[in-house]
Amino acid sequence: MNQLVMVFIIGLTAGGLGCVAVQGGLLALCLAPRTSPPATAPLRTKHGSEVPTTDPRLAATPILLFLLAKLVAHTLLGWALGALGSLLQLTALPRALLLIAIGIFMVGNGLRMLDVHPIFRHFVLEPPAAVRRYVRRRAKKGADAITPLMLGGLTVLIPCGVTQAMMALAIATGDALLAAGLMGAFTLGSSVVFFTVAYLATRLGAVLEENLARAVAIVLLALGLVSVDSGLNLAGAPISATRLIQAASAPAVRLSPSAPPAVTSMNPASGENVLDVRVSSSGYTPAQLHARAGVPTRLTLVTENVYSCALALVIPELGVEQMLPLTGEATIDIPPQPAGKVLRYSCAMGCNTAQIVFDQ
Amino acid sequence: MKQVFDVPDMHCPACVMHLEGIEDALPGIQRIRVSYRRQRLEVEYDAAQVSEAQIVSAAAALGYGIQAQPSGG
Repeated sequence: MNQLVMVFIIGLTAGGLGCVAVQGGLLALCLAPRTSPPATAPLRTKHGSEVPTTDPRLAATPILLFLLAKLVAHTLLGWALGALGSLLQLTALPRALLLIAIGIFMVGNGLRMLDVHPIFRHFVLEPPAAVRRYVRRRAKKGADAITPLMLGGLTVLIPCGVTQAMMALAIATGDALLAAGLMGAFTLGSSVVFFTVAYLATRLGAVLEENLARAVAIVLLALGLVSVDSGLNLAGAPISATRLIQAASAPAVRLSPSAPPAVTSMNPASGENVLDVRVSSSGYTPAQLHARAGVPTRLTLVTENVYSCALALVIPELGVEQMLPLTGEATIDIPPQPAGKVLRYSCAMGCNTAQIVFDQ
Repeated sequence: MKQVFDVPDMHCPACVMHLEGIEDALPGIQRIRVSYRRQRLEVEYDAAQVSEAQIVSAAAALGYGIQAQPSGG
């Protein structure tokens, strides 16, 4: 659920602006026949597309049809990408590498948009010339109801940078339904911005375009860095921004007489470590536990109404990938670990992390 | 006739699609290729039907300043 809200917000911010920048011209083309002829020279965005002279009653319907088709097409695309991901049966490490690659792609795309260096122009996918020609000519066909529907559907062929990143994330989920939900939520979020900008297309919109592009680029950079960080977490890498922040702020719970027994203790009969972790939608608490080295450890994860990727637990080093119940308990048996060992675990998306430190 | 133009104003792949629209706007365009990565526009055209100046004007109408490369023809 958290993930859906997160991608909705990404759609509402960076996605919406990115989509308008790349696909706005397409919508303008199909709106053009419906708008009244301009009294003065037509307004143009920096991308060269005419900003439609909006007659509100005439403009709203095709925009809504366009966005409806876009939503349906992207949700179906998400489903297909998720199904593809599930066929690939990606384990934690390849998923981690994919997340890192997605992050690098997003950062490169952001730097491209900021025009930092020509080399970053390679961080974007261009649809084939034949597809571009078809889309362009279809857009100029006319003012029927089918055209905006067709064009909205065809936007899957010309995704903006943020959408491309979401598509990669959809593959990484390896779950068709979740991926469809992600792409649907993202497109829904972006549609709000798309509709607002397209409906209110005015001289102000054209002037703002350059600033909007910069804002998109900065959000994309931030998302890219988050994705790289998630990939590092999922791979169990010792260094990541999340782990550094956790190390600086999270209180460590030691297996000692002074430690709260409800969280960590020792089974007197078996001598094994007994660690309890509370799982909430926002992660694992405590984020760091200490346990004795050289004896088995029983890790119990307690969930209560958790609706986030925290339910999909991954311990990369042990090859553990386990789905936790929405509410309930799950137990993972960890073999004896040497002193000084730090066993890292995270959610399957790498956004929630925690670790167990084994002491003498 | 073939001419290569530099297009320094291209910001994204959407610009490619807009510039390719020149082939719909002008007669005599036989082939048009636009590269965002190279910031270049290559046009093959029938000089009897359309001139280099008209191509430059068509690009300007779309919001792009283009400059012919000396060796392009």
